[in-house]
Amino acid sequence: MTTAALFFILFLCLFAGMPIAFALGLSSITTILFFSSDSLASIALKFFESQSEHYTLLAIPFFILSSTFLSTGGVATRIINFAIDCVGWIRGGLAMASVLACMIFAAVSGSSPATVAAIGSIVIIGMVKAGYPETMAAGVITNAGTLGILIPPSIVMLVYAAATEESAARLFMAGFLPGLMMGSILMVVIYVVARFKKLPAQPWVGFGNLLRSGFSAGWGLMLIVIVLGSIYGGIASPTEAAAVSAVYAFFIAIFVYRDMGPLKGVVWVEKDESLGNAITRNLRLTVAAMPRSITHPDVRKVLLDSSKVSIMLLFIIGNAMLFAHVLTTERIPHMFAEMIVGWGLPAWGFLIVVNVFLILAGDFMEPSAIILIMAPILLPIARKLGIDPIHLGVIMVVNMEIGMVTPPVGLNLFVMSGITGHNLAWVLKAALPWLSILVIFLILITYFPQISLFLPEYIDHLKGY
Amino acid sequence: MFSRIVSSLEETVICLLLAAATLLVFVEVVLRFGFGIGFMWIEELTLHLSAWMVLFGASYGIKVGSHIGVDTFVKMLPDKLHRLVSLCAVISCLVYCGLFIKGSWVYLEKIHMIGIEMEDLPVPKWLAHSILLLGMVMLAWRLLQLLWEVYTGKVDGFRLADEAKESLHLAQEISGQTVVKGGDTV
Repeated sequence: MTTAALFFILFLCLFAGMPIAFALGLSSITTILFFSSDSLASIALKFFESQSEHYTLLAIPFFILSSTFLSTGGVATRIINFAIDCVGWIRGGLAMASVLACMIFAAVSGSSPATVAAIGSIVIIGMVKAGYPETMAAGVITNAGTLGILIPPSIVMLVYAAATEESAARLFMAGFLPGLMMGSILMVVIYVVARFKKLPAQPWVGFGNLLRSGFSAGWGLMLIVIVLGSIYGGIASPTEAAAVSAVYAFFIAIFVYRDMGPLKGVVWVEKDESLGNAITRNLRLTVAAMPRSITHPDVRKVLLDSSKVSIMLLFIIGNAMLFAHVLTTERIPHMFAEMIVGWGLPAWGFLIVVNVFLILAGDFMEPSAIILIMAPILLPIARKLGIDPIHLGVIMVVNMEIGMVTPPVGLNLFVMSGITGHNLAWVLKAALPWLSILVIFLILITYFPQISLFLPEYIDHLKGY
Repeated sequence: MFSRIVSSLEETVICLLLAAATLLVFVEVVLRFGFGIGFMWIEELTLHLSAWMVLFGASYGIKVGSHIGVDTFVKMLPDKLHRLVSLCAVISCLVYCGLFIKGSWVYLEKIHMIGIEMEDLPVPKWLAHSILLLGMVMLAWRLLQLLWEVYTGKVDGFRLADEAKESLHLAQEISGQTVVKGGDTV
């Protein structure tokens, strides 16, 4: 009865177009008021605690801030140039380079649609000019862009960690190998297709150029190294790593890349300028720009944009914690778990059901919202069936990736249709062959837990557990 | 004019809270690794800064439309019905706020009466937690404005965030300025 009321109110509110946070909160509060003895004051306290007692959650605004600083066209261009210099000389190299660029940019920006927009709008024109079919260019990037939520640091994984109270650091370790694997699978398939279709290769640019573009992209890449290095090494918590990366991203964006802020458009070395002159000029400019950079409108815009997204997410998470509180006090997941165990459904059968269900849900809602609603329900069942919580997290994230490439609410499809100017049906048709690779990948991830669990377990082993 | 001042004030407060929280954790990391010192109160302060940002900013999110939701279905409804459903949705949100306002009022009154301070900071707890009440009142105010706009037919329903549209701004910015070398090295 309680369960039915909770879900009925939730879905009624959701489908009426209420923001997800309110839908979760209202359905939880009404259920609590009608079916349990908690007072409104204790709900208020619980809600405030959801915002003020979870140190791990702070990683979310900090990571969003650092990625907003670096989600610019300039950073995307540098990463793409580096990727083309790396793998462009192989047959089908431009397409492979766009996958590599998607992987790197996705890790830095943490957002799938932003990755598709940035990489797609730069690379597709070049690929078509070089003789690639436009459908292939669009299809590859639409799918490779989804890696943003799998390759750490990933906001969606932090949300899963918040919903299930699992370790965010371990999730970040678990997502790394699957992310690399998915990227490699895409590249291998591209190579095979390129052989058949006789797609061109770019000329090899030489080690000098590779080093140069690597150096330029390296400032952004360092962010990933700092974050993952400090988390994997156990030096810092995800929250601390995120705060450091936000400050680092600020310095890189303003003073090194100069894509925004008071030094925007100022070149490092002017024509015919001696090295000494360049150094003194840049030093003087940098020092002079320091105070102005704090109040600069570009910086303010980045801060405001990231706080808007953070507020939206954290507000949902707070309400989702009320929702999870109702679930646990009413023992709803346990009821489901016993029911499913009673059916005699094996673990693999349960995972098939989970996959199908999540892909369907992913067609209508944002990844973080689905995870917040579904993870507290699925996790107790999974535990009972002997599935590792971290493994379940990776499965859920990969499902969310697929949801981003399937209609009606596939964000990446919309973005791709926006950049290429083709309609949704065209984009979907272009994305389908590559989407099937994503589905095969999902099956691999689901039935070979070791792909996800190898790295976290290996790091535990290194630390001597 | 007045609403512009309010907007800019809201934005400044939100930005400052985020910047302060980020810098505090950064400073804490530097202090710990550089000098081996740690302060307990930094963690508590950052957490409360973040809570203030969220609760203060939730109403701003209603105004600028940064909350997310599912509007696939209501958009399929005929216009009049769509607005009717939206009216009900806004009123439900107001009920949500009302319940929270009542709950937080009772809660704040209680801890004010007990008069306890926060764990590591010398600040009365009711003051630190007062943003819950304040935020919900602001939220209710913005929702009432929205209710009026829906009623008069100015908008169809909640302004919800559209991540795809926002990403396309990035694409426009890029196609306006950059030239890639992949394009001409055929």
